[in-house]
Amino acid sequence: MGRRQSVGDISYGLVIGTLALLAVTIIVAPVIIVLLTSFTNGQAIKFPPQGLSLRWYEQLFDASKSGQIHKTAGNSLIIAAWSTGIGVVLGTMATLGLARNRARLARVADGFFMSPLVLPGMTFGLAALVYFSLLGFRPSINLMIAGHLIVTMPFILRTTSASLSQLDPALLDSSQSLGASWFYTLRRVTLPLIAPGIAAGAFLAFMASIDNVPVSLFLSNARTDTLPIRMWGMMESTLDVRVAAVSGVLITAAFLLMLVMEWTVGITRRMRD
Amino acid sequence: MFNRRQLLAGAAALGGASLLPSLAHAKGSLVATTYPGSWEDAYRSVVAPMLKKKDDITLDLAPLFAMDQIGKAKAARGAPPFDVFLLDPGPRIVAIEGGLFDKFDPKKLSNLSKIPDGFADEYGVCVSAQVVGIAYNPKKVPKPTGWTDLLKDPWASRLGLTGFQTTFGTSSIIEISKQFGGSLTNIDPGLVELKKILPKVAAVGLPAAMPGLFQQGQCDVMYTNTQTVSTLKGKGVDIEFVKPESGAIAFYTTMHVAKGTEAVENAYKYLDLVIGKDVQAALTPEPYNFLPVNKDVPLTPDMPMKSLDEMAKYINHDWAKINPLRAAWIDKFNKEMAK
Amino acid sequence: MRSKLAEWQLALPLGLAFAALFLAPLLLLVGVSFYNDEKITQLGVGSWSGFFGDAFNYKVIVDTLLLGLKTICTTVVIGYPLALVYMDLSPRLQKVLIFVIVMPLLLSVVVRTFAWIVVLGREGVVNSVLLGLGIISEPLKLLQTELGLVISLTQIEMPLMLLPLISVMSRVDPNLRDASAALGASRWRTLFTVILPLSMPGLVAGCLLVFASSTTAFISQTVIGGVRLIYLPLVIWQQALVVYHWPLAAVASLSLMISVMTVIAALSWIGRRSGGYVNG
Repeated sequence: MGRRQSVGDISYGLVIGTLALLAVTIIVAPVIIVLLTSFTNGQAIKFPPQGLSLRWYEQLFDASKSGQIHKTAGNSLIIAAWSTGIGVVLGTMATLGLARNRARLARVADGFFMSPLVLPGMTFGLAALVYFSLLGFRPSINLMIAGHLIVTMPFILRTTSASLSQLDPALLDSSQSLGASWFYTLRRVTLPLIAPGIAAGAFLAFMASIDNVPVSLFLSNARTDTLPIRMWGMMESTLDVRVAAVSGVLITAAFLLMLVMEWTVGITRRMRD
Repeated sequence: MFNRRQLLAGAAALGGASLLPSLAHAKGSLVATTYPGSWEDAYRSVVAPMLKKKDDITLDLAPLFAMDQIGKAKAARGAPPFDVFLLDPGPRIVAIEGGLFDKFDPKKLSNLSKIPDGFADEYGVCVSAQVVGIAYNPKKVPKPTGWTDLLKDPWASRLGLTGFQTTFGTSSIIEISKQFGGSLTNIDPGLVELKKILPKVAAVGLPAAMPGLFQQGQCDVMYTNTQTVSTLKGKGVDIEFVKPESGAIAFYTTMHVAKGTEAVENAYKYLDLVIGKDVQAALTPEPYNFLPVNKDVPLTPDMPMKSLDEMAKYINHDWAKINPLRAAWIDKFNKEMAK
Repeated sequence: MRSKLAEWQLALPLGLAFAALFLAPLLLLVGVSFYNDEKITQLGVGSWSGFFGDAFNYKVIVDTLLLGLKTICTTVVIGYPLALVYMDLSPRLQKVLIFVIVMPLLLSVVVRTFAWIVVLGREGVVNSVLLGLGIISEPLKLLQTELGLVISLTQIEMPLMLLPLISVMSRVDPNLRDASAALGASRWRTLFTVILPLSMPGLVAGCLLVFASSTTAFISQTVIGGVRLIYLPLVIWQQALVVYHWPLAAVASLSLMISVMTVIAALSWIGRRSGGYVNG
């Protein structure tokens, strides 16, 4: 009995360990490989890179050669900043409004606001294109912001409502029983306490907007192209090594942002909870 | 005076306005289409900076194949998503029939006298010519001689295929079909032959993806135009162009002002610049190899022809006959090639 | 002090924004699908009957759903063991692992897709390693195959599987495992009879997210899969932005939505039946 069990345990350790190792490898290896490839000295994207140099980064940061990429990166940042900013205000208000509401309608509303998370992005992207075109709008950054606002909202709502639900209701009641107005309680008690949750949501929404493809694919044009759409174009046609350099910059930026968010609001804990 | 709230609101509005680009066309800007790949490369690195320098116009390029431009313009219903079209003969006819062009006035071009007679009309202006044939990697496969070689080994298993979405794809499959008894309007024999070798072909891709697939070594033979070959060569890719025995295909590429655009003046400045000596001379040598239309710019020795007078010696397809069939061909190709 | 009604009204601005920018476009899309022609002038069910009258489109729908299911399988098979290992790690290592898992989520899908071109290409990492080791004599064809696409999507969607899974698993009382072991159950038995049922809600939530995301992953599908593997997003894109037949594009995208939602409803039903609350 004991022996059979230990054989079982060994096989368990082997199988689970191997698969987990495979999982970590498959998650990490491609990222590292892209990072290494971006330092190639050659003309083509190959691994291992042919000679090491920073030439593709130089090209990428050269405004005369890569102006278009800089512009699309700027578009991405503007769209992400505005959609996150508006989203945080609307999302926090809605969370405060619905958090303690037990009405059935409130549950339905919550589900409705979360639905962009599972609704196919391509469907919403097309719907937005058809809607705005038939209303007579020309493609613009504003429409992109509107579209991104919708698809990034679930991230804001999720972390904000999670941190609000951890808030002790007694705290709010005592504040109000001490005579503080509803607004004063909100400003001095509630918001400061849920601020890390809001910040984490804003961060995730911002990154989701920067990353968004399905909505941008339908709503953007040559003037309002975002970085992912431009990169897709580069990948599909010329397969320029600058794609690797852009990736390198994005990987580094994501890594640093992640560290900052971990130190300030404990982002990993919030994503796990 | 203002109170604090009004000031804050005003400041927010100002901040917002400066960040949010307005809906109207910014002064001194132009959106022109370009073909993905070699055209995009060339226009981004050569033409855009020249236009900025000469007329202080910011050129935004939308990389779209001709058919896609027509679709996008039609869907926009009078508010064109770009100001200037770049088209091949087939889509040009479709666009004329669809009334997508602003009436063109060649006299507005200061360089009109520098291009051959008939190169500018009431629809637009011719900016270059393209020659389509076979490209191959000399380090990986022997030199193919004609279209039928593509369907035999060793080429077939290294072939990169693309469908009817583009002029070069359509023209090439028509020529392949002709070798097997097809004609300008009958591509079925070609598709039958392609389907036979389908299990072993190296890649089937969107037209825009073909240069990338070639560069990555995913395929070593494809049909394409001479500019693409030069651009890839410029990137250090082993690639050579072959005129098929039965002849290479040639056609003119034209630019047009979109109907309903608010940037008509800028569009003319752009077209004038594109046919002008500076741009044409910059695009003619390696790695671009664009066939020049400006009389002051000679063709280079590596080009497939000595002068544009030779265009008539190449295969010219009658797009008025092809256009009505094309949508069905695109659909058929997608279905036949799907796994 | 405000009444409940006033507090509830705080959700109104978001509600209005969603009504105008989310619900209205989707309803309009349904409306547009009931036009026969690309100029959107002629009412009728022509686009629906045209789309579903073509056997090819059924295959596309099935392939799209199968792609989602295959991705679920691979992410579960290697993701679940990683979540198990996570439970046994020290808090410090847990933090590192979460970091490693979340990191790709913050990385653009385009970058992750691009990474797989470098890895799977004919002259890519996998082929150079296998050729170098003499395991193969000819480069394997991995790009433009469904195998390559599923491998890529496994990585691209993995964080969506792992996060809900780990979140639920870290709430499983470790005493339960110890109790199971003390009662003589092997680790395999403990896994299947104790841990798996308890982690079901997280597993189902992960499956939902992976399914929803992989079926609509247009860029990965086209760049890694090529044009011979046709999934619904490509059809939507072609009809909407190449052919400009919006009613047909609407039909294709609503078909995507309905079929994805059906599978998701089925998955969450399974999740609920297995006794957990699914936080989708």
